[in-house]
Parts: sequence; structure tokens; C-alpha cells
Amino acid sequence: MKTILEVKDLCKTYVLNKRQNNVLKNVNFRIEEGEMTAVMGPSGSGKSTLLYAVSGMDTITAGEVTFCGRNIGEMNQKELAALRLDEMGFIFQQMYMLKNLSVLDNIIFPACQSRKVKEKRQETLERGHELMRRLGIIDVADNDINEVSGGQLQRACICRSMINRPKMIFADEPTGALNRSSSDEVMEELAELNSLGTTIMLVTHDVKVAAKCTRILYIVDGNIKGEYNLGRYEREKLRDRERTLNGWLMEMGW
Amino acid sequence: MYLQILKKDLKRKKTMNMILLIFVILAATFIAGSANNLLTVSSALDSFLEKADAPDYWFASTNAEDIEKFQEFAAENGYDYFISRLIQIEPKNVLVEGKKLEYSNTLALSNLGGIKIFDKDNKEITQINDGEIYVTHVMFSSAQNDFHVGGKIVISQGEVEKEFTIKGYTKDALFGSSMVGMTRFMVSENDADLFDNDKAAVCRSVEIRTKDAGYRDKFNELGLNTVMFVDRAMIKMMYFMEMLIAAILLVVSVCLIFISMVILRFIIHFTIAEEFREIGVMKAIGIKSSRIRGLYIVKYLAIAVIGTGTGILLSIPFSRIMIERVSAKIVITGDDNIFINFGAAILAGATVVLFSYLCTRKIRRFSPIDAIRIGETGERFKKKGALHLGSSHFPAVLFLAVNDIFSGFKAYISMIIIFILGTLLVIIPVNTINTLRSDHLITMFNMVESDHIISREMLFNPNEDNEAKIERQFLEVKEMFAENGIETEVFQEIMFRSNVSKGEKRTNSLSFQGRGGVTTDDYVYIEGTPPANVHEVALTYLTAGQIGAKIGDDVEIKVGEDTKVYIVTAITQSLNNMGEGVRFHQDAELDYNYAAGSFGIQVNYRDDPDEDELAARKALLEKLYPDARIYTSGGYIGYMIGDVASQVDSVKVLILSIILAINALVAVLMVKSFITREKSEIALLKAIGFHNGFLILWQTLRIGIVLILSVLVGALISGPLSTLIITPIFRMMGAYSIQFEIRILEIYVLYPLAVLGVTASAAFLSARGLRKISSADISNNE
Repeated sequence: MKTILEVKDLCKTYVLNKRQNNVLKNVNFRIEEGEMTAVMGPSGSGKSTLLYAVSGMDTITAGEVTFCGRNIGEMNQKELAALRLDEMGFIFQQMYMLKNLSVLDNIIFPACQSRKVKEKRQETLERGHELMRRLGIIDVADNDINEVSGGQLQRACICRSMINRPKMIFADEPTGALNRSSSDEVMEELAELNSLGTTIMLVTHDVKVAAKCTRILYIVDGNIKGEYNLGRYEREKLRDRERTLNGWLMEMGW
Repeated sequence: MYLQILKKDLKRKKTMNMILLIFVILAATFIAGSANNLLTVSSALDSFLEKADAPDYWFASTNAEDIEKFQEFAAENGYDYFISRLIQIEPKNVLVEGKKLEYSNTLALSNLGGIKIFDKDNKEITQINDGEIYVTHVMFSSAQNDFHVGGKIVISQGEVEKEFTIKGYTKDALFGSSMVGMTRFMVSENDADLFDNDKAAVCRSVEIRTKDAGYRDKFNELGLNTVMFVDRAMIKMMYFMEMLIAAILLVVSVCLIFISMVILRFIIHFTIAEEFREIGVMKAIGIKSSRIRGLYIVKYLAIAVIGTGTGILLSIPFSRIMIERVSAKIVITGDDNIFINFGAAILAGATVVLFSYLCTRKIRRFSPIDAIRIGETGERFKKKGALHLGSSHFPAVLFLAVNDIFSGFKAYISMIIIFILGTLLVIIPVNTINTLRSDHLITMFNMVESDHIISREMLFNPNEDNEAKIERQFLEVKEMFAENGIETEVFQEIMFRSNVSKGEKRTNSLSFQGRGGVTTDDYVYIEGTPPANVHEVALTYLTAGQIGAKIGDDVEIKVGEDTKVYIVTAITQSLNNMGEGVRFHQDAELDYNYAAGSFGIQVNYRDDPDEDELAARKALLEKLYPDARIYTSGGYIGYMIGDVASQVDSVKVLILSIILAINALVAVLMVKSFITREKSEIALLKAIGFHNGFLILWQTLRIGIVLILSVLVGALISGPLSTLIITPIFRMMGAYSIQFEIRILEIYVLYPLAVLGVTASAAFLSARGLRKISSADISNNE
């Protein structure tokens, strides 16, 4: 399989009140195309910082991050923005959307600005509808964002992250603000996307969420302490996966 | 606690508070300065006229018999009067420091006596030695002439020539205003005698001091031929322009206070929306609404106190500069009336505090749950998303900007009001100045438009053949052009003093007759038809009103010794002598021994020459009349009332600068507040791949679109509003129907572009602040 993301000796340091805070310390890992990787670890271990650093949303202090063969540390802000817009998709814990746009418009908005997507506005609109249909939220396409539930909104965020056909999706606790049933629905959608070939890297605290991923990276104090390969997700084996994962996490000190 | 909260808030909302403070300072400064100026000038004018012992009535006549008639009348009625002489001098016969005097109106020599006149130090001038001369401040300060203390003036009239030394300028209540179409040089009695010879045109200036309310009617019944007849109220009115500037600035100040209040309302509502949760928590833990409101009001009280204090301090030099300009013309004694500055500025500050109190009423109405749940970050009950991206052909950034405006129009109302107001404050003075400078305005000065006007205003002597003198000039011009193969119409407006009556009602008025290639059909009338024969006349609104005449009425008009009956066929308007006027038919037989003066010689070319050709013909005229100046119609009006247009012009520049500053500050304020409010959206857009350029453009476009809409609305309503606001001012000067000169390019393109350029630049620069928001900030937002 082809490597899509390679991280070498990644360091991230914040200076807060004249004190140096090393959040990430020489992190090394790779993500291959088609993987669904969960980053887990205790609070404050640097999970989200890692996600933002490798996706080019945040600067890195040292090391190298290569995405699709391009060193993102050498890119300027404009190139990084273009990379995020065209090649990456993002899902956040809070369902951030533009408040003055309908759900559908929020989904297709990135496509209207993308240089990669060369299609007419009508075609984009149809693709937006198609994505919403796939994720079961077509009924709320023309609704205001305050007129839909959290689960629907997070699925709309997934649609938005997919609209520019990205090579990889980054998700920061995508189910963190959802109840269990909504969380399961959203994770099923992400697993489905992954089975269709989309690479996903997500940060989570939830074992049930992580159990749907193919690989787990466990991070403690800014270092990858261990990783676990769960293999392809199969719904019927979910309980077993959760049990296995729980055991491994216990070993890691979870 | 209040102090701590205040300190924290001032630090957190630095830009917003600073902008509000600037507006309060500006409003306080302007209102204090202009109110001081208006009240000081107004009261000083009364005390100046009192101190100068200005007459209750004042008239001038060139007719010795009329003066005798008046003396008998005054003796019979026991009126106190004083007669002084005004020896008319041709401006071309005056050399100032060796250079010909640049002056177009009537110039006279006079000696002390009657009304008191003062020097620059407000001391009464009681003695002028032989060889010494004083001039009015209007003359002394004219840029075209080199008047200075100790300078030399040579005056020649006929065989008499004398050199004078300039002693300084006078504060002369009768001749001090730039609106009086005449000025006088004060010399010693001996020097005045020297020029008062048989060949001199001498006008008698008669000052009457009486409290008799029936004086005007009795005087009018005398039927004298006067060059002018005014009462004290009209003398005061001549200083109208000195008040006008202060009045314009007062209007600007009121607008500034209004703008401050709009900004204040925006800031308070923004702050409350932003701090809904804090307000809810405070309410939930039992803090009273009044205490919560107090937290906000204390900040605006602090801003109002600082702003008002600074405004008072700044207004003192500001009022002094304004007063200095006027005090050169009139005597202003006593203190600076600083209490007016205090009063006006405190009023402005109090208005701001009171308004902030009213704006925080919202807090009182909310329950803790409302305060926590409702607001910008809470639930909404109104559908947003006015447009749909799918069906739009706009680029994404333009769509986002337009959609934001239409989805949350309320948030832009403050900005729209301010931008519209700013547009009006720029356009209305520009329309006024352009109207004052337009060629068309000449029609309100009892003249017709012409290609060129030669500043050869004539003075007439009763002992000369005045008609022949006029015809000679016309011939000279016509022949000169004919030699160059150019056909012309040459004409001139001749003025007479006349006495107009209908039944018992009688008034004195300036009368006009066009001589040469002009007919009554060429003039502009408000009602009726032009006088078609020698028995018909047109009257101005004012003159017709004074005698109660209407179209179709018979009126008696006396010019010189002749009294004739005329039919009024039309009503016209005039800016001469505050609106008085009679228009005679071109063939009406008038006694030219009584001609009082004329305007310049007007030339119309029959072949409709282009700009280059007009310039060449102007050069020909300059060659023929090296002593004269050649004007267009608009230029000639500027030459006659130049001071008015240039004074309004100077205010226009000040207002334009203020408006550009206001728009820039408002744009900065709005963009800053939008960035604060939309921090999470900006971070989101950055996170999903939108670059800074897109986001800056989005923020700038919103301001730009709102500005374009506002400027359009402002420009559209500026026309009717100009008429509504400026017409009463023109009406005071005698014009009842004003056709505004609206220069499309200037009003709808040039100024809007300047405003748009500055405001959009300010919005753009301010929007660059969003670069500080990182895409990673999305994880820090609630």
C-alpha cells in the first residue's frame, strides 16, 4: 500500500508565560492509503495538537511531515490552505458551520472555491445532494443549521469534508458532542467511507469509536507509546474488537 | 469592582472604545466650537452695531435735490440724521504699491463722521491725518492686492492725484461685510475735499436714527431715488455669511452626535449579545438588573467624561480660530464665552450617557434563562440564508458577502445610516457650491448667460451722455470682433434706483434694463410672460410682495423725475440687494441721467465656438481691455460673490475630511466587531482551506457593498434634500426657486469613489487583522 502521510521526528513546542511546553516530542508514524487510524491517549497528551500539526493547520517546531509526497513544512500559508481545501477533509467535535448558509450550501461551499473541482455550480449541487442522500440527511438540505439535530449536523460536516473528494479526512473527536446513537450513526458513516477507500485519521477518547478503526496510535506526553492493528472493520465483530482494544489500552495504562 | 471591570473592558475592546471616544471628542469639540461661534457672533453683531452707533435706517442717493427733500422731511418729523459723502472712484484709477487695484464693485472715498468705525485693535478711529488712508478688512485681506500697513496707494481722479500711506484696516459696520457690493476708503476731510470736485460722482450716505416704527412708510412716500435703502436688520443680515459657516458646522456637529449615538447603540448591542451568558449568570446568581446595567453605563460615562473634557479643551482653540476670522470684520469684545463651550459639550456628553442608559434597557427585560439561551450564540427563531449558493452565479466570496448582508440586515443598519448621512453631508455642500458657481446662477442676478463678460462696470455721471457712453463701448467690442470676422451680440445690464408703488403701498427698488443685443425674452421668469412692450415690467417676488402687486396689476414706477404706469406681466427673482428688483423692457424710455451703475459688458458669439476658440477670443478681449478682467458667466458671479462660494468651499473640504475619517473609523469598528463575532467561522474557513486573501476580501466586500448601497441612496436623495435645506437660505437672499447645479460626474462618480476608496481601504486594512486567527483556533472556540 502507498504511504499517504509520513511523520518524522515531529516536535511541537509552545512557549507559555516564558515557559517552554513540549507538546509533541519526536513523533514518528506513517499512515497508508485506505487506513482508518485512531489517535487515543489521556487528556493533554497532545492528540489534537498532533492532528492539527500533521494536517497543516498548525505549524511544527521541528521534524518533517510529508503528505502525498509533499513536505508540508516547506509550504507557505496559501499552499497549505489550497492543500487543505483540495486534498484534505476536516471534521471537528463542534459542528461548526457558517450560520447564514443552509445545510446544503454549507456542504457545497468549499467546492465553489476549490481549484481542483472543475464543474458547474449545478453539478456541485447535485453532488451535494448525492452525499446528503448517502448520509441520510437529504431531507434537511434547505434547512437552516439551527433547524437540525447535532447528529444530522455532524453528518453534514462529513458531507462537507467529502465534497472536494479529499485524499484523507482528519477528524477531531467527531462524536464528542453527540449522544450514543448519533455517535454510532456517524461512525458507521465514517467506516463506510473508509471501506470505499477514503483514508481517515481521527482523535477520540471513545473505545467504541476507536474499535471501528483499522489501527490505533496511543499517545502519552507527546510521544507515541504504542500502536495496535485491529484490521478491517466488520460490524458483526465489533464486540470482539472493543474487548481486544480495551485490553490493549489497559496494558498501555488507559 | 466597577473600576476593575471597566479596566478589563477598556483593554479587551480597545479599538471599539477608542473609536467611540474619538466620536464623542469630535462631537463635543464641534458642538462646543460652533455653538460658541454662533452665539458669540450673533451677540457680538448686536453689540458691535450698538457700539458703532449704527443707524436704524440708511440710504444713499446721488441726487442733490432728493437730499434736500429728505432734509426738509427730517426736519418736519424731527428725525435725527447724519449725511456723509461717498466720492466714487474708478478702481482702475487706484494703484496699490504701484499695481492696479483689483476690485470690481463700487469704490468710494469718505471721511470720518456719522457711524463710528474701529481699527484692528477695536479702538475707535477719531482722527485721520492728511495723506493717511484706511481700507475695510475685506479689501485689506484680498489676495489679489498687496495691502499692508505703511504701503502706498495712489488715487487719481480727473486732474487730481494723491499718494496715501496705508494706516491699517477698519471695522466698518456699514461697509465691512463682503455681501455689501461697495467698499470705502477712509481719508481725512481735506483729502476728501480734494477729490470732491465738479467732475466727481458724489453719493450722499444718509444715516437716520429713529425709533419711529412708521418711518419706512413715510420715507417711501417721499419717492426719493436712492442708490440703496436698508434698515438695521438688513445691515445685520449683511453679516449672514459669517453666521452661515458656524451654522453649517453646528449642523455637522448635530450629525456627529447622531453618528456617535448610532455607534454607541451598535457597540452596546454588540457587547450585550457577546456577553449574554455572563449577563445570564449574573442574573442567575441574583445580581440586580440595575447593577448589571451600571457595569455597562459606567464605561460609557467614563468615555463621555473623557470625551467631553477633551472636547472642551479642543473647542477653545477651535472657537478662537473661528472667532478670529469674524473679529477681523466686527468688534468682538469681552471674554471668550467659554461657558458656552462647557454647556454645549456637557450637553453632548450627557446625551451620550442618557442614550447608553436607554440602550441597556434590554438587560432589564431578560430573565436569567433568556439571557443564557438567547443571543447570537443561542437559538434563532428567524430563518436566515436569504440566497442559495446552488442557484447563484456569484463567485463564492461575493455570494458569502451578499448573503451575509441580506441574512442579517439589522446588523448593517447603523452602518447604512452613517454612510448615507456622510454622503449627504458631502454632496449637499458640493451641490450648493456648484450652484453658486454655475453659469446658470447669473440669471438670478438680473443678467442673462453669455460667453464672456468684461469687468467694465460703469459709473454714470448725471452731466454726461450716458447712453452714448454705453453705445460707444458696445461698438468698440463689436468692431474689434468684426475685424476678426466674428459676429457678436454685445449687451450690458444698466441699473437704476426707482420708486415703485401700487395704491398706497410704496417701496424703493433697484431696476434693470438690458441694453444692446438682449431682449426681455432672454431672462428667466418664475411666473407670467416677459414684458413685451415699453409699458410692461416684471417685478421680483420681494418687490411685488412689498407693494402687494400681482401679474396684471398696474404699478407706478418713478425713475429720476419721470413717473410712469406699467403693467406687471411677470414675477422674477433676484439675488441682488436681498431680492428687490424691477425689469424694464429694453425699449422703455428711462432717464439715463439717473442710471446708478451697470454690470460688466456681456458678449455672445453667434458661431458657437469651442473651448479653444473661446480661449482665443478671451485673449482678444484682454488685448482690447488690458485693464479689465474677462469672465465666463459663472466666473463673473464668483467675482461678484467670491467670498460666499470660497467660504462654503473651505467648509466643504473640512466636512469631506471629517466624513472620510468617520467612514474609515466606522469601517474599522464594524470589521473589528465582525471579526470578533465571527472568529469561529473564520477559523473554520481557514481550517477547511480558505486562505487569508479570501477572508479579507469577504470582510471588505461586505463593507464595500453596504457602502455602495448607502452612497447610491444618499446620492439619490441628495437632490431633493439639497433643495429642501438650501432653498430657505437662498430665499433669505431673494431667490425663491433654485435650480440646483448637479454635476453628475462629480456627485455620482468622483466623490462617491473617494468615499468608497477611503472606506474600503480602511475596511481592508482592518480586515487584515483576521490573519492573527489561526485555523487551529477552531479547537479553542466554544
